[in-house]
Amino acid sequence: MTPFLNLVAISLPWLAAIFLLITRRQARAVGFIAALVSVLASALLLNEAAFGQSLNQALMLLFSCLAAMAMLMLPLRDCNPNMISGMLFVLGSTLLAYSTENLLVLLAAWILTTVPFFMVRFFRSGAWRPRMGLLLSTVAFELAILLILANGHGMSISGMRGQSPGGMVVFGLLVAAVIFRKGICPAHAWVADAAEAGPAIPTALLLNGHFGALLVAKLIVPLFPDAARNFFPVLSYLALGTALYVAIRALSENSPRRLLAFLALSQSACILAGLESRTAEGMTGALVHWCVVTVATMGLFGILRLLEVRFGENLTASRHLGLAEHAPRLAVFFAIFGLALVGLPGTLGFCSQDLLIHGTLESHPLTGLLLPVAIAMNAVSIFRLFTRLFLGKRRTGFTVMADALPRERWILTAAVLFVVLGGLFPNAIVALGTLEPVRAESSAHVLAPGSINP
Amino acid sequence: MDLSQAALVFVVLAPGVVFGVTALLWLFGWAPSERVISRITGLMFSACVFALACLVWKLGSTGADSVVVPFGNWFTVHEYHFPLVLMADRLSLPFLGLTVVLVGLIGQFSATYLHRERGFLRFFLLLYLFAFGSLLAFAAGSFDLLAAGWELVGITSVLLIAFFQLRTGPVENGLRVFGVYRACDIGLLVGIFALHQWAGTASFAGGLPELGGPQARTLCLLLLLAAAGKAAQVPFSGWLPRAMEGPTPSSAIFYGAISIHAGAYLLLRVQPMLQQSRWASALVILIGLITAIHGTIVGRASADAKTSLAYASLTQVGLVFVEIGMGWKWIAVAHILGHATVRTLQFLRAPSMLHDYHAMHSAIGGELSPEASRPEERMPEPVQLWLYRWALDRGHLDTILDRFLIHPLLRLSALFSKLDNLGSETPVRRRERVALSVQSPAGQGGD
Repeated sequence: MTPFLNLVAISLPWLAAIFLLITRRQARAVGFIAALVSVLASALLLNEAAFGQSLNQALMLLFSCLAAMAMLMLPLRDCNPNMISGMLFVLGSTLLAYSTENLLVLLAAWILTTVPFFMVRFFRSGAWRPRMGLLLSTVAFELAILLILANGHGMSISGMRGQSPGGMVVFGLLVAAVIFRKGICPAHAWVADAAEAGPAIPTALLLNGHFGALLVAKLIVPLFPDAARNFFPVLSYLALGTALYVAIRALSENSPRRLLAFLALSQSACILAGLESRTAEGMTGALVHWCVVTVATMGLFGILRLLEVRFGENLTASRHLGLAEHAPRLAVFFAIFGLALVGLPGTLGFCSQDLLIHGTLESHPLTGLLLPVAIAMNAVSIFRLFTRLFLGKRRTGFTVMADALPRERWILTAAVLFVVLGGLFPNAIVALGTLEPVRAESSAHVLAPGSINP
Repeated sequence: MDLSQAALVFVVLAPGVVFGVTALLWLFGWAPSERVISRITGLMFSACVFALACLVWKLGSTGADSVVVPFGNWFTVHEYHFPLVLMADRLSLPFLGLTVVLVGLIGQFSATYLHRERGFLRFFLLLYLFAFGSLLAFAAGSFDLLAAGWELVGITSVLLIAFFQLRTGPVENGLRVFGVYRACDIGLLVGIFALHQWAGTASFAGGLPELGGPQARTLCLLLLLAAAGKAAQVPFSGWLPRAMEGPTPSSAIFYGAISIHAGAYLLLRVQPMLQQSRWASALVILIGLITAIHGTIVGRASADAKTSLAYASLTQVGLVFVEIGMGWKWIAVAHILGHATVRTLQFLRAPSMLHDYHAMHSAIGGELSPEASRPEERMPEPVQLWLYRWALDRGHLDTILDRFLIHPLLRLSALFSKLDNLGSETPVRRRERVALSVQSPAGQGGD
């Protein structure tokens, strides 16, 4: 049953994408139904997975829910067959990457997710850095896989656990791939460029695949336990440095899209810092934060796009726009997602950041202090963006009803309920996140807190 | 769960549940009338007062010191756990009572005060959330849970400062207050982490964990940072006058009564640990003393009623800090209760101050004598002038913060921005842009 469900979850979005490109009709309906089928298949896969082995399935469910959310949030102006098929393509490829245990398939999925961003029909951006970032990360990953192949290792990830295939060169290439794909400093600028110049919701979908973190959790930690033990502090410092650098950078940013991209980047760097803390709290916090960041940033980018469509694309954080007068519910949704992203109590973000702070401080008592500082700055930035967009004197001249439409309201409420109920009853999600460190601990002997923290 | 435990759970959860249900219904399009909101508020807080009275009666009849309601762990990861435990003891009960009674009264007052005000529902939603946050902080049996309530109090405080959202002043001031809160809360977060590391738990339901001298000192200093930020102590006092931009009822409950004393509550909670460290105690006394002097001097130069009251409040909270540092725990609690009650009344009467004065003048048949003892008049004139300028700029605290922290941070951000923009355009695009700008001079082209 599992292979069939995997096949359905992954291939249906691709088939739907091809169908849309041919027929070019009912784009949103086709896209939503395909995403919904992926959601159901992923949910069944999660249900079938053995306890302690369900993280991949949980991530598949999360991402397919995210894609379904994106399909419903996409404004009519953006809802064309090219855009929807691109998003379905990203969905299928990302699910493939989450589900596979084969190196070549993972590489193929990695490349496939980037394809829509090299197609002008989908990604009409003049910025060159997003394509360069994706290209460099892909090249680094390809070289690493080639070296592993050249050294005569197999293609099964589980078969190479703890063997350090290809040695330090492959490890270095994989880390480079993570840095470029994840947007770790100094390779961070492409993320903001992509968010600003590209289509907002599909770009958020791409970024929320968190392929950099996936590579760390799926390949680097299990395959290179010794190198990870010795060199992870460096990557951890880079991640913490990125979180702080980007948080400072966001303080003076006035383009809402860029500002949101910086916040997403800073919070994503926190995920990486948590994974690299090698403590149970840090790793679990990172995986829970993964859920928070994906849902919250998708909500934020979606709301921003809805505002752009309603009020014009020249939104800015340099003055107060007073949009809450016209769109009070969108303002509330934006505030909840923004505050969840920076750890408001009562949301899942509070739990994840509690765990992340404990994990990173336990692992790096001094540099770990950068994490709460970065989170505090991010909180100020998101609140600044909220106040500038929604508060202040209202703009005149809008006669249309501009608040959330029922379709948007329902999907945003569902996302808010996930964030809030997840925060009130976090144990189910925390338990899912706790599985990966335990599994890695038993195989790679690197993640046991006791072995690292005397 | 016996009666006292059920009562404690009800008192803490009722405002949170009412907030959640009302907010959710509003999201789906429900728009309750002012009368409905007013009745819900009255009923809820009356029920909370009744439940709290039952709790006190039960405690009195059984002679127990405290009520503890353990819910297990909120979440657990290996050896780390987040204890979910509510507790009402002799320290928290006065604060719980104060919160329930004053927030209930403010709710009833606001139903009239904010009649037909835009954002009537928003005010009450935030009031419910504030009540939930503060009750959670005061009834928490662990520092983790206390931090959750603490953060909720902070965010509701900021959103109420920005209540009059059409004016940019309150909105910008709200942002500033939020920044100070978040910066100081780092002390609380790191302190909780330290407590977990050193004591293995952050729960104080079974008594405060025992720590060694240096550890106790470090923890007290971290918590002092958080307490000083929340209580607007020097050097964080600059946010307090900015917070006066909110509606008067919220100013009364936040900066006259509950929120401003939350920092003192935190220090009272760790008072046994504070007494272990002479340096930490001395620092608490010093900060309190400086704040009291700062508050009284700046308050004298304040031109509006609410800011004067805010600085008067600050002076008293400074004195409460001194009492806590001296180890006079119950004097501090009595001081807080008395001060909060009187100050709330003063804040609520502030909008009708002129009317009150007119009534008094009519009653006594003339004007009140402005004569009063002013110690500053005994100082040399240059000193008086300097002091006046110093007070007008509110002790230069905001200026110092701007010059040495905020502006350098923004300059650094601008530098990072320049670095990021290096090479963001390809040479071809740059040539195209330059050519376009040459073809369409300013005022004739563009978007």
